[in-house]
Amino acid sequence: MRHGIWSLALTVSLSASLSAQDVRSHVTTLASEAMGGRLTGTEGAAKAAAYIVSELKRLGISPLPGRSDFRVPFEFTSGVTDTGSSFRVGDWDAPDDGLRGLAFSEVGEASGSIVFAGYGITVPESQDFGYDSYFGLEVEDKIVLVLRYFPEDASQEVKSVLARYSGLRYKARNARERGAKGLLVVTGPRSPSAGELAALNFDTAAAGSGIVAASITGLVADKLFENVSDKTLEQAQHDLDSANPHVGGFDIPDVTATLTVKLERETGTGFNVVGYFPPSASTAEGASEDRFVLVGAHYDHLGEGKQGSSLAGADEAGQIHGGADDNASGVAAVLAIAERLKGRERKSSVAFGFWSGEEMGLLGSGAFVASKVLASEALTAYVNFDMVGRMRDNKLVLQAVGTSDVWPRLIEQTNVPVGFDVQTSEDPYLPTDVTSFNQAEVPSVNFFTGSHSEYHKPSDRAELINYEDLDRVARFGALLTEKLSNLDERPVFIKVARSSQAGGSRDSVRAFTGTIPDYASDVEGLLLGGVIEGGPAEEAGLAAGDLIKEFAGQAITNIYDYTYALDVVKVGEPIDVVYERDGETLKTTLTPRARK
Amino acid sequence: MRNVLVFLLLAGTASAQTYSESDFLSRTRRLTFEGRRAGEGYFSPDGKQMVFQSEREADNPFYQIYVLDLLNGDTRRISPGHGKTTCAFFQHETGNILFGSTHNDPRSKDLQKKELDFRASGKERRYSWDYDPEMELYVHHPDSGELEQLTHAFGYDAEASYSPDGQWVVFTSMRDAYGRKLSREEEKQLEQDPSFFAEIYIMRYDGSQQTRLTYAPGYDGGPFFNYDGTRIIWRRFTERGDIADVWSMLPSGADQRQVTDFKSMSWAPYAHPSGDYIFFASNKLGFTNFELFIVDTEGMKEPVRVTYTDGFDGLPVPTPDGDRLSWTSNRDGGASTGGQIFIADWNHDKAMEALQASPARGSTENE
Repeated sequence: MRHGIWSLALTVSLSASLSAQDVRSHVTTLASEAMGGRLTGTEGAAKAAAYIVSELKRLGISPLPGRSDFRVPFEFTSGVTDTGSSFRVGDWDAPDDGLRGLAFSEVGEASGSIVFAGYGITVPESQDFGYDSYFGLEVEDKIVLVLRYFPEDASQEVKSVLARYSGLRYKARNARERGAKGLLVVTGPRSPSAGELAALNFDTAAAGSGIVAASITGLVADKLFENVSDKTLEQAQHDLDSANPHVGGFDIPDVTATLTVKLERETGTGFNVVGYFPPSASTAEGASEDRFVLVGAHYDHLGEGKQGSSLAGADEAGQIHGGADDNASGVAAVLAIAERLKGRERKSSVAFGFWSGEEMGLLGSGAFVASKVLASEALTAYVNFDMVGRMRDNKLVLQAVGTSDVWPRLIEQTNVPVGFDVQTSEDPYLPTDVTSFNQAEVPSVNFFTGSHSEYHKPSDRAELINYEDLDRVARFGALLTEKLSNLDERPVFIKVARSSQAGGSRDSVRAFTGTIPDYASDVEGLLLGGVIEGGPAEEAGLAAGDLIKEFAGQAITNIYDYTYALDVVKVGEPIDVVYERDGETLKTTLTPRARK
Repeated sequence: MRNVLVFLLLAGTASAQTYSESDFLSRTRRLTFEGRRAGEGYFSPDGKQMVFQSEREADNPFYQIYVLDLLNGDTRRISPGHGKTTCAFFQHETGNILFGSTHNDPRSKDLQKKELDFRASGKERRYSWDYDPEMELYVHHPDSGELEQLTHAFGYDAEASYSPDGQWVVFTSMRDAYGRKLSREEEKQLEQDPSFFAEIYIMRYDGSQQTRLTYAPGYDGGPFFNYDGTRIIWRRFTERGDIADVWSMLPSGADQRQVTDFKSMSWAPYAHPSGDYIFFASNKLGFTNFELFIVDTEGMKEPVRVTYTDGFDGLPVPTPDGDRLSWTSNRDGGASTGGQIFIADWNHDKAMEALQASPARGSTENE
């Protein structure tokens, strides 16, 4: 209706265009060159934190009770370097470029004889599958040599099972649990990137694998196989590659080796920024300053994209990743919510949290939850905003709504006047900060407006943000938060079971397809949010908006199917992709490349 | 956001037909989220409120009636809270709300408990409506909060709606199965499916002058007045109960005419306020795939398909100004529940164009 619900609803809001200016100014400032991409621990992140602090002060928000500073520090591993790991076999020393410590390795030395344990994979008995690389092997106090990845020639079905137990960290744990002192990993001659070392990718849980572990080059592995009379490494891999469970490992005869891993982990300090509004004075009855509704967004991004998850193309590599959508938009939404809630009636406190270290693995929110600066029992609910600046077609995605039955009710009430095309999903195990709060059993919800082809690239810029709709998202968030802050009781937390269908571990996925998936619980297939420029998907003619229905002969009904399919495709081997575009079913061929 | 597992929904799948959903419907969005299911949403005459039925209270597994304020999103229950209710409708000017309810049945709370226990046992049954003979029609008066009982006949009395001027109520009743001696055939029929006895009735808004309008064997139900109160539209099932079509008649019961002829289950008719066409739902494209259609008021032309999304789309109701359409669907997360209410902008001009371009009824083969 031209004069009906929609326009009437708008008239009861504050002047929409004025507040859209506010969110524009927040995003533009945070995504500017001066902030340098807001990498956790850098000066750019400090500037972003200072900007947020100044905004909180302007709004009359206070530091949390008992604190004088909005900044709440946390420590994190900011890098790992190999400072001279070595490997000696008999009196032969591996060359310096022949090995590299694995990021999660213990620092130290392991000496002993060497056992070749195939792919080093053990599928748990509960899977009723029957695959154990260690069958019949005695590895206690020895050094285990394993191949990276999983058997190359197995059927896709078998690979999809093995892939789940083939991550490096999983292999290290497997070796340690069998009593091995050291682990050597080689990329087999029949695998992609044959003979190359594994990258020293650090993650947050970097330390503590309990075993000395390194990757070695094919050259070093061949040196070990000189002592094996009847086969080469390549022949040994070939025997294993059918995944025949009866092909076992063996001792490498007459060799004693010493593996020494030297790693230096650098520690940095990151800062969360947190403040709060107390309950309104006029609602003294039933009011509780000790209960908090927490509204949050991460403010860090990828800096110049030199670590980990940048998707920058070759022509833009090393440029500042401004992260306008990811997640200047979320910060702008939370600041705009604070602005709207100023002076409003509320029975409980409302806190505003701006997290750092999210891109490195939810570090800031995880540390905040662990620190008990605000006990999780004191949190009525957590409302997160991550990538809310690129709304298309009025679609707002609300995730993690399975964490409490309060969400469907409040979403219904809140959305009627705001009028988004709201899509909900229950799963709280998400690559964003709600995961930290869900683990602490706080009813949580995440706001999201969809991925796009500028995701994790320098081109995620302020001019691509949809400010009018970003402001509507903030309005929705403010209405929702206000309702939460006036509840008499804490909503009941519901534990959502983690999907047993979790995909293969990240470091086992080695095929690069250049697809950027969007995903949804109710769409049958995998919707592409974009494709990486120059990548195999683009070369195959795929584009944003295509709905993949079949990939390498496997029906794709959801993101998990797709992850499985990715696990088992072979680099360099063309695969058929069936997809829908504009209602038409089309077919193309995509040739995956090796992931570096 | 860290890493790439990201989320977005896609609009309904398009098809190779001449039209697609976006020709008629835009800014489609889900209106209700709470509870297992919601449906039968009808607008107040000023378009500012919607009354609907929903299963959303922990202690009652059956529908209750709620009024949704479309300006601020507040929802309140206006039915008693216990028993089963269904099919509410606003009266012109007074804001009174008419609905069917079993709350005066002394067993109603026991029935709730029985159903809850059944669900707790983990068993599932196909959703079905049981045509509870204790169902009577009531009017909720918003100012006093009082409930006025309009019907007192044993047998399902429900599916009621007011005439546009609020003076008349047209409704469905199965009282004919109870007030007289049934033949053996009829007794068997009643046991199998009481809806066979459902007929259309009319009465004054105060419950007086209750008059039967239809006599055809088989379920006659879901009646509404058209935009100016000159005709009643409803759905009529065949005697066997396998096929339903939209019919129209004068408020006297005379001049009964069949409007649709899909040879499938076509039901839930509701007139567009322009008076030019009628919305309805049909499963002609698949037994469980109900889609919305429009047909010209006289049924001279082939109906035009409006929705193109698999699953259930039914119970279409336009806003009083005719610019928006609300309906019940299990699309987009409505699927995890038994259906929810959706709303979209309605393209009336496109609808008129499509109806005009449609061939005469019966001139094309049924698909």
